[in-house]
Amino acid sequence: MPPMVIPDKCDGCQGEGEPLCEQVCPGDLMMLDRSVNKAVCRNVGDCWDCMSCTKACPRQAIQTRLQYQVAFFPGKLIPLVGTHSVTWTLIDCRGNVERFVMKTLAGDEEEE
Amino acid sequence: MARERVYIDADLLIIGGGTAGCLAAWEARQRGGRDLKIVILEKAFIRNSGCLSAGMNALNMYINQGTPQDYVSYARYDMCGAPIREDIIMSVAELVNETVALLEAEGLPIKKKPDGRYLNRGKWNVEINGSLLKPVTASMAMQAGAEIYNRVFVTELIKIGGKVAGCVGFGVRDGKFYIARGKAVLLAAGGCAGLWRPLGHDDAHHRIWYFPFNAGGAYAMCKRAGAKMVGFDHRLVPVRTKDTYSPTGTLAIGMGAPMINSLGEAFMRERPEYVKLGGHTAPTPIRAWALCQETLNHRGPIMMDTRRGDPERVAGLKGQYLDMSPCLVLYWGCNDINPSMDPVEIDAADPSLVGSHAGLSGAWTIGTSRMTTIERLFVSGDALGAAPSRFISGTWTCGRLAARSILYYIERVDPQLLEIDPDELDRLEVRTFEPLERYQKCTFYTNGKPIEGIIPEEMEWRMQFIMEEYCGGRSRWFHVSESYLSMARKLINRMRHDQLKYLVAKDLHDLQLAWDVINRLDVCQLVIEQINYRKETRYPGYVNRTDYPNVDNENFDCFITSVWDPETDELTFDKEAYEQIVPGDRNEESI
Repeated sequence: MPPMVIPDKCDGCQGEGEPLCEQVCPGDLMMLDRSVNKAVCRNVGDCWDCMSCTKACPRQAIQTRLQYQVAFFPGKLIPLVGTHSVTWTLIDCRGNVERFVMKTLAGDEEEE
Repeated sequence: MARERVYIDADLLIIGGGTAGCLAAWEARQRGGRDLKIVILEKAFIRNSGCLSAGMNALNMYINQGTPQDYVSYARYDMCGAPIREDIIMSVAELVNETVALLEAEGLPIKKKPDGRYLNRGKWNVEINGSLLKPVTASMAMQAGAEIYNRVFVTELIKIGGKVAGCVGFGVRDGKFYIARGKAVLLAAGGCAGLWRPLGHDDAHHRIWYFPFNAGGAYAMCKRAGAKMVGFDHRLVPVRTKDTYSPTGTLAIGMGAPMINSLGEAFMRERPEYVKLGGHTAPTPIRAWALCQETLNHRGPIMMDTRRGDPERVAGLKGQYLDMSPCLVLYWGCNDINPSMDPVEIDAADPSLVGSHAGLSGAWTIGTSRMTTIERLFVSGDALGAAPSRFISGTWTCGRLAARSILYYIERVDPQLLEIDPDELDRLEVRTFEPLERYQKCTFYTNGKPIEGIIPEEMEWRMQFIMEEYCGGRSRWFHVSESYLSMARKLINRMRHDQLKYLVAKDLHDLQLAWDVINRLDVCQLVIEQINYRKETRYPGYVNRTDYPNVDNENFDCFITSVWDPETDELTFDKEAYEQIVPGDRNEESI
């Protein structure tokens, strides 16, 4: 599920030494495009779809897209990361929405 | 061009901050005291690196019932009764439950039954919410105060007088030349994906089961250091969900969903040729073989019939995959698949070389010491050969046991850091950066491709093309024979001997890819030669020798090992005797 960066949302993690997505990518694929100061995946075909970048992005600027050769358009899967859980929203190609709250760490979600 | 250097000295030098490496660091701190200097070199970022990076929804090794002996019996059965290192698996099985408790205390959510015990999945698995498995694992190493160097790619071990003194590599971000020494070195840098062609092309070529950035560095470095290697006569052909290649244990063990063919037959249970080999609980290679047989006999496509599974558990299926392989959930959403109404298509995927999953590849080790045949060089995780079915929880445990053994070695032998010849370091530096230096001398076509060189991905494709066609890839139904292997040998050796001098890398990212190709090609040699040496078919489904289709117990009921000679580029073969520790029929599970 190669990561696609939405330009209006990505701010290149200003103030960080390198964007968080670049920091976490196990394949060294995310990088900062210095000409626009936004993150980009240098080779979407090399991505293994671990979604580390998508989960790490503080601005939810990264959308994961399945390769069209294996999946129809326009399904979406969006994770929202909490301290002890992640809430996933699946919007399938027909527009049906499903939500899943998955525990990630022992303990309870902190009161907001 | 001389580069800036970083010198690192350690008591325990760990290459690879993964499942085994992080727990080795933790254990070494518990047992080695405050002053022990533990260093981890990690090619990515330790909190998110490696094959755990997408998460996992179960731990496949846990003694829910029975004894460690029963687990050994299961691992042996699941490898078709083939020789495995029972001593090593036993050592892991004895400690694995304690290790799982450690990780639970660190924050890993393990699902529970109403009575408070772990929720088991089948005999040997426990279910977890493991999407943060890697951060939790990494925190064990951080807690231990290991000095962690992220984004350092190790290229070679340094050997002095028959002992390993350390390693060299390059900084993926800073471009510096790293020289690390250790009194003992633990190599735990994963297995090898991507030797064969994947099904997906172009932007989907990494939509494979095993982590594509595990590119055989551990195996190649061990081989080049002259360590005795084992288990490359075997490869794992994973049966996975078609197109996304997500794990299927969740369906098969978790839901009890059977494989069915186009006639609707649950063929493992219904067709006598499979029933006699164990039916639906036949060894993993047999199930891969059966899937291929059904397809070859025009009874495909093959599905896992989730409709026949436990409905309550099928309802929670998407959640379980989100913890491990979220792309499958999106795939279902994009392709109108509802697994409670539709069976899920499966496929036998491109082969991987692993040591800790259902694979045997790795370095040969002395007793349960985890030391290779090279003094001071220890291995764990996927780098350790002939001890399958350790999976994640067993690999954590194996890392801990490696650390114990290393500390015992340090205490007993009192090894000192070795002085490295400066000329040797200069030579290693040149070798490490060669593809980068070459690129800088290139001129370019109008499309940006170098005129005088070959970029890493082109070389990777060529290698995958050769391995797919002549070393039994997925499109060849995993069939090999001496005639095909001799073609694979000729072409792969041509690449190794004559073509690597054209390999160029435009930047530090590509320099990693260049080293991935160099390492994979070295692993190809091990695979071709070891498969060729085992003139029998012991693991049908994984390696089908069309010229030797039967088991030959007289000659091959043993481990096959090889040592590489740098002068001749030949492998010297040897057979190691199999030692059965757990009594009983090797083709039966004890429980």
